[in-house]
Amino acid sequence: MTQAELRLCSLLLREHFGEIVEKVGNSLLRTGPRPLRLLVGDTGLLLDQVKKALCVLIQHNLVRYEVQPRGSVEYEAQSKRILRLLRYPRYIYTAKTLYGDPGELLVEELLLHGHLPMSCAVARVADRLTETMEDGKTMDYTEVSSTFVRLADTHFIQRCPIVAESPRNTKAPPPPAPALAIAEKDMYTVPRLSLIGKGKRRHSCDEEEEGEHKAKRQKQEGGSSETPPDDGIYWQVNLERFHQHFRDQALVSAVASRMDQTSSEVVRTMLRMSEVTTASGASHTQPLSSNEIFRSLPAGYNIGKQVLDQYLALLADDPLEFVGKSGDSGGGTYTVNLHKALVSLATATLESIVEERFGSRCARIFRLLLRKKHLEQKQVEDFAMIPAKEAKDMLYRMLSENLVSLQEIPKTPDHAPSRTFYLYTVNVMAAARMLLHRCYKSVANLMERRQYEMRENKRLLEKSQRVEAILASMQATGAEAAQLHEVEEMITGPERQQLENLKRNVNKIDASENQVDETIFVLESFIESTMKRP
Amino acid sequence: MQQNMTFKVLLSSCRIIELCHQFPHGITDQVIQNDMPHMEAQQRAVAINRLLSMGQLDLLRSSTGLLYRIKDSQNASKMKGSDNQEKLVYQIIEDAGNKGIWSRDIRYKSNLPLTEINKILKNLESKKLIKAVKSVAASKKKVYMLYNLQPDRSVTGGAWYSDQDFESEFVEVLNQQCFKFLQSKAEAARDSKQNPMIQRNSSFASSHEVWKYICELGISKVELSMEDIETILNTLIYDGKVEMTIIAAKEGTVGSVDGQMRLYRAVSPLIQPTGLVRTPCGLCPVFDDCHEGGEISPSNCIYMTEWLEF
Repeated sequence: MTQAELRLCSLLLREHFGEIVEKVGNSLLRTGPRPLRLLVGDTGLLLDQVKKALCVLIQHNLVRYEVQPRGSVEYEAQSKRILRLLRYPRYIYTAKTLYGDPGELLVEELLLHGHLPMSCAVARVADRLTETMEDGKTMDYTEVSSTFVRLADTHFIQRCPIVAESPRNTKAPPPPAPALAIAEKDMYTVPRLSLIGKGKRRHSCDEEEEGEHKAKRQKQEGGSSETPPDDGIYWQVNLERFHQHFRDQALVSAVASRMDQTSSEVVRTMLRMSEVTTASGASHTQPLSSNEIFRSLPAGYNIGKQVLDQYLALLADDPLEFVGKSGDSGGGTYTVNLHKALVSLATATLESIVEERFGSRCARIFRLLLRKKHLEQKQVEDFAMIPAKEAKDMLYRMLSENLVSLQEIPKTPDHAPSRTFYLYTVNVMAAARMLLHRCYKSVANLMERRQYEMRENKRLLEKSQRVEAILASMQATGAEAAQLHEVEEMITGPERQQLENLKRNVNKIDASENQVDETIFVLESFIESTMKRP
Repeated sequence: MQQNMTFKVLLSSCRIIELCHQFPHGITDQVIQNDMPHMEAQQRAVAINRLLSMGQLDLLRSSTGLLYRIKDSQNASKMKGSDNQEKLVYQIIEDAGNKGIWSRDIRYKSNLPLTEINKILKNLESKKLIKAVKSVAASKKKVYMLYNLQPDRSVTGGAWYSDQDFESEFVEVLNQQCFKFLQSKAEAARDSKQNPMIQRNSSFASSHEVWKYICELGISKVELSMEDIETILNTLIYDGKVEMTIIAAKEGTVGSVDGQMRLYRAVSPLIQPTGLVRTPCGLCPVFDDCHEGGEISPSNCIYMTEWLEF
């Protein structure tokens, strides 16, 4: 837990959940797992508040609890999971591209609530969709539930672990905290529910609709007194699956830019076929035979079998080594080499950072060192064809930023500098970690700046909100155009301009936070994948 | 009597020189004896010694005995007035030939003290018999070679160095030209829209092709070899713009070296510039000093302000 991570986590908690939760989260992050009493003592808040804050955090999977052998329950904050709060917009956007509006809203609801039963989620989403639709139309539950089922089938959402059914033993006292477990096969099975119904609007102007809705509402309220049919079965978003999807996307776009569109389609097909068969941390996908790939190609691409074979051969031969040939059965079996792909993407990210910060000649030296591992200063000058003075300057700059390190090889037992070889080298893992730390700090900086901008213009924002509220109420009660105009005039021209600027700035900062998050994703996946390899 | 002696010696010296001219490869003592049978051995020795000290004769040892050879008149005039030490140093430098020789090595070979060497070298330089060439490997080191010799490639650094200066613009120009050639080849291959194998193979260019193209372009004043072009192409690889494969080629196909051929292809970058560098923080020079509440903080960051106004 570095300083930058801690800072980012507290900012995220404060923005999403408020100050009390932030305090509790902070204390847990800084001091590690601790029981409830100590937590209360640390934060100085009331017991009630701490309990509620912990509830919120556990609901969102940000804090785990564990029963210690002594009998006390300790709570531990998951910093990695807290950092995922930054990525929520990306998850929602991905769901939108894959499953349309119902998918987008379902994922959003699940992310905002942490855990939700299916019936609840479907009802909410249908209501929201109905809000946005035209008058007179409502969203049927069946469409939303079918999207839900599809999300579960492709493993984007999963069931939360439930309390294990233990035989009731009256003699033994119940454990202080329930142990949650779920079987692998149950994780994605959707319970058989017949959810019938339509979405409700909040305000309906139509009289007939009202009558109908009133009747429905009564029925619904009556229904809510009974437990919904899927009580106890809660769903949560499966973040790992989304990460797999992002990784696949990055791979495919890299192949598309390095080779051509068709090759990237082939790779995309291969990845799609291995979506549910490959474990999330695997370094290779399962071998796929060329016949299978040919059958699973999307309908639009009618390339012949021969051509497909040629593409596969080209992909396997390419120096990128994303695809490897693992055998000859079934017309040739191919796997996607996930670990290598992540390594290439991460080194490309490092190179692009060096290029933007120090210039293209420095990038040349950096790539040279990546390829040749260890080089003396003279050799660097020779290979890179850069004049000695400039090469020296660039190497020292990169050395001071710790992107490049020196390896000493002494010729004599006393490490006399004149009789020692000094070799420059790049340590990719160390550089990746350092840049990841820098990313965290950058995102924290951007968030602070955004909050600062909002604080500066607070007065203006409040004023505009008041004006909008007045306008809305006046419109509802049917005011004349002149009166509306008068109210609008309350916000002067320059103030309007300022508001425009503010909105634009906040959007810009938001967008760039997401962009830095993409870099964070690539670097984190690379570090994780390298650590997992034996 | 004395006058007679010197006159005789002069005569015999001239006669010996004439003989040497007759036999440019050298004459032995026997030949002189045959020519002038009346001369005594002592007189002969005196005459020969005189000629040697004047520097008009070269004394060589051959399998049959001693040989006297006429020295090159030009050289003879050059070395007039030099003493033996200088001659020795000169000979050492001559032996070094193209590569030149460092002053410390001259010292080892001649066993003369440093001060003497320096004096002699200065002397020879002023007479324009030798010259000092700065080595490109170690810029403080000077190697000496004969005045009219062309220094070797290893000393001057080859095609990339002109007057000990690295020609970076020349390298840059070559870099861009090679890249453009490979790029246009790749584009032509892509537009041909044939099956992918042929497309890829036609987008490759061997180093020989690139070399021919550059030679035909004529942007280089210096003759460039294929190795030079390969070093330029390597820099393009380190720029991430070009990738290389080595294939086995039959001996005798144009451009193959030891049964292998290097093929180069222009490629586009793997990813777009990454997210971190699109924010001011990614490129900020004072990143490490930035803290909330300090002199430099996100709230009053001037880079961010400029960036937001953009």
